[in-house]
Amino acid sequence: MIVVEHLSKQFALSRQQRREMGAAFTGKTIDALQDVSFRCTPGRIFTLLGPNGAGKTTALRLIATMLKPSSGSVTVAGFDTLKNPVEVRKRVGFLTGNTGLYDRLTPNELVKYYADLHGLDQRTYSARREELFTVLGIHEFATRRIAKLSSGMKQKVSIARTIIHNPDIVVFDEATAALDVVASRSIIQFIRQCKGEGKTVVFSTHRMGEVSLLSDDLAIIHKGRLIYSGTYKEFTDQMKTSSVEDEFVRLVEAA
Amino acid sequence: MKTFLTIFRKEFTDTVRDRRTLFIMVIFPLLLFPLLFGGITKLQVSQMKKVEEKILRVALINAAGAPGFEAMVSASRGMRITPPIVADSAQPFLQRDSLDAVIIVAADFRDKVESLNAGTMTVMFKSGDDYDIVKRRLHDLLRNYEKQLITSRFAKLKLDQTIVSAVHVEERDVASIKERVGKVLGGFIPYLFVIFCFMGSMYPAIDLAAGEKERGTIETLLTAPVSRFQILLGKFAVVVLAGILSAVISMIGLYTAVRQVKEMPQEMLTAVMGILDVQSILLTLSLLLPLTVFFAGFLLSLSMFAKSYKEAQSIISPLTIVVILPVAIGMVPGIGLTSTTALIPVLNVSLATKEIIAGTIEPGLLALVYISLIVLAALSLWMCTQWFNREETIFRGT
Repeated sequence: MIVVEHLSKQFALSRQQRREMGAAFTGKTIDALQDVSFRCTPGRIFTLLGPNGAGKTTALRLIATMLKPSSGSVTVAGFDTLKNPVEVRKRVGFLTGNTGLYDRLTPNELVKYYADLHGLDQRTYSARREELFTVLGIHEFATRRIAKLSSGMKQKVSIARTIIHNPDIVVFDEATAALDVVASRSIIQFIRQCKGEGKTVVFSTHRMGEVSLLSDDLAIIHKGRLIYSGTYKEFTDQMKTSSVEDEFVRLVEAA
Repeated sequence: MKTFLTIFRKEFTDTVRDRRTLFIMVIFPLLLFPLLFGGITKLQVSQMKKVEEKILRVALINAAGAPGFEAMVSASRGMRITPPIVADSAQPFLQRDSLDAVIIVAADFRDKVESLNAGTMTVMFKSGDDYDIVKRRLHDLLRNYEKQLITSRFAKLKLDQTIVSAVHVEERDVASIKERVGKVLGGFIPYLFVIFCFMGSMYPAIDLAAGEKERGTIETLLTAPVSRFQILLGKFAVVVLAGILSAVISMIGLYTAVRQVKEMPQEMLTAVMGILDVQSILLTLSLLLPLTVFFAGFLLSLSMFAKSYKEAQSIISPLTIVVILPVAIGMVPGIGLTSTTALIPVLNVSLATKEIIAGTIEPGLLALVYISLIVLAALSLWMCTQWFNREETIFRGT
């Protein structure tokens, strides 16, 4: 379970960034998120939808404790991200569009590294590794350097790395953005599998097709503000346009 | 501790698998000295030998004015008298390398010499990159001729030649050969160690911070249940180890190179091997450790600030000059280790190493160098920790 309450995040701007904002901008900070609240429940897929630069990644980084809130709070599996960041991280798996792998390591070494960082004992690690490598088909390239793997293979390794510690919560930050159709499909399958296992799934995207394929709950974020939050069904039921995409554009333009 | 070791092991594996880092850290320092000493010294020695043995083509103008001179030149080994030329054509001949030297005996040479004055001989040659060996050989020839004339003058005057010397200077240098060679080489050795230390730390620092940001692995690493300080410490330790390893490897390279050069005089070889003794090496390394910690903190901070590997490289690479400067100042004669210079980073290591190698280090000043380096290293680690905890730094450009 993730509970986000009145979450705001400001970033300090460098002198150069302030100059780039133009003469009209007089502040020293920029609001990346403003008073955002939502809940993600176990066994459901929560989709965070928004155009580029809307604040999706900031929200997910706050959930994963990479960033600290300026105000408001995030509670993950009952732990406050500010007070107990390590406990939160033990329960979260984070997957980005960028595979985030070390090219000079092998899949074996990389997955073991993350297992060690999560404090898995040898027996648990071996069993979990065997299970994941078999399901994802990693065994055949487990000892090859990651730099020499195809993007599909890398994605599989990335998934194994994300869930080696069997987290209760899995966060996908535009995980399919840089992938081809085949690799994207494997991520989508994986997201569904996580939901099936009763995990809390948070998924950010700007691809409408994926929204309709996966979402149970939906939040639309634009310029750091939440402009819609509810179930996906409610969203489609109250649409004033003919498609999800049109409705999204309408809401963004109206905001 | 277990987490630190996990991070350290991974970062070290990752670093040594990077060909660029491996080259700068191991291959370059290991091969540089054997190539530098072995290759260049051998080449230099063979070139000098060639110039030394070269038959000089010498044209004499008005040689008859200097009795016995032409015969002396003909009898000299490695000199050949060319057919006579006129004085005006001397310069073009020399410039075209058709001649190596032209010696012009002044018209009044015989009269001057006979009246016990000094006669003039003009030596024309083209100075170049032959280590001035041609000039020296010509001077030796003329000095010998002068000696001959002076001897005959003293004989004619029935005087003993020793009456012209009133003071006989006897030099006794009390500095040991280790001290003498140490003061010369001592300036050069810290130069190498500091540079290799810096260069060895540079690439791992760039790769483990800016490289990690560029590859997007920093995000996934920050979601692991470990503190940022542990992550930083793991990276830090690898950067320090890389710097120290690089310096040690350069020392091995230097040792190998010195052993290889057969042309080095035995006395010098013994002195150099004496410099590379265990105590000097350990003391030098103990100075390099806090210096490398300082470098590591400084380099990691800059690298973390950069958005990409390339940006980090362009920020850090020019700093090599900044590091070279104080080390180069340490090589200037007259600049020694004092209570002031002991506090100046990098320069203090350079000067202290010089004293250690010469065996003249003062314990009080050495302690001051350690204190200043340890304070600097601690400050650098603290600064780096602060920097690593700043969201604006870690996520700059992402």
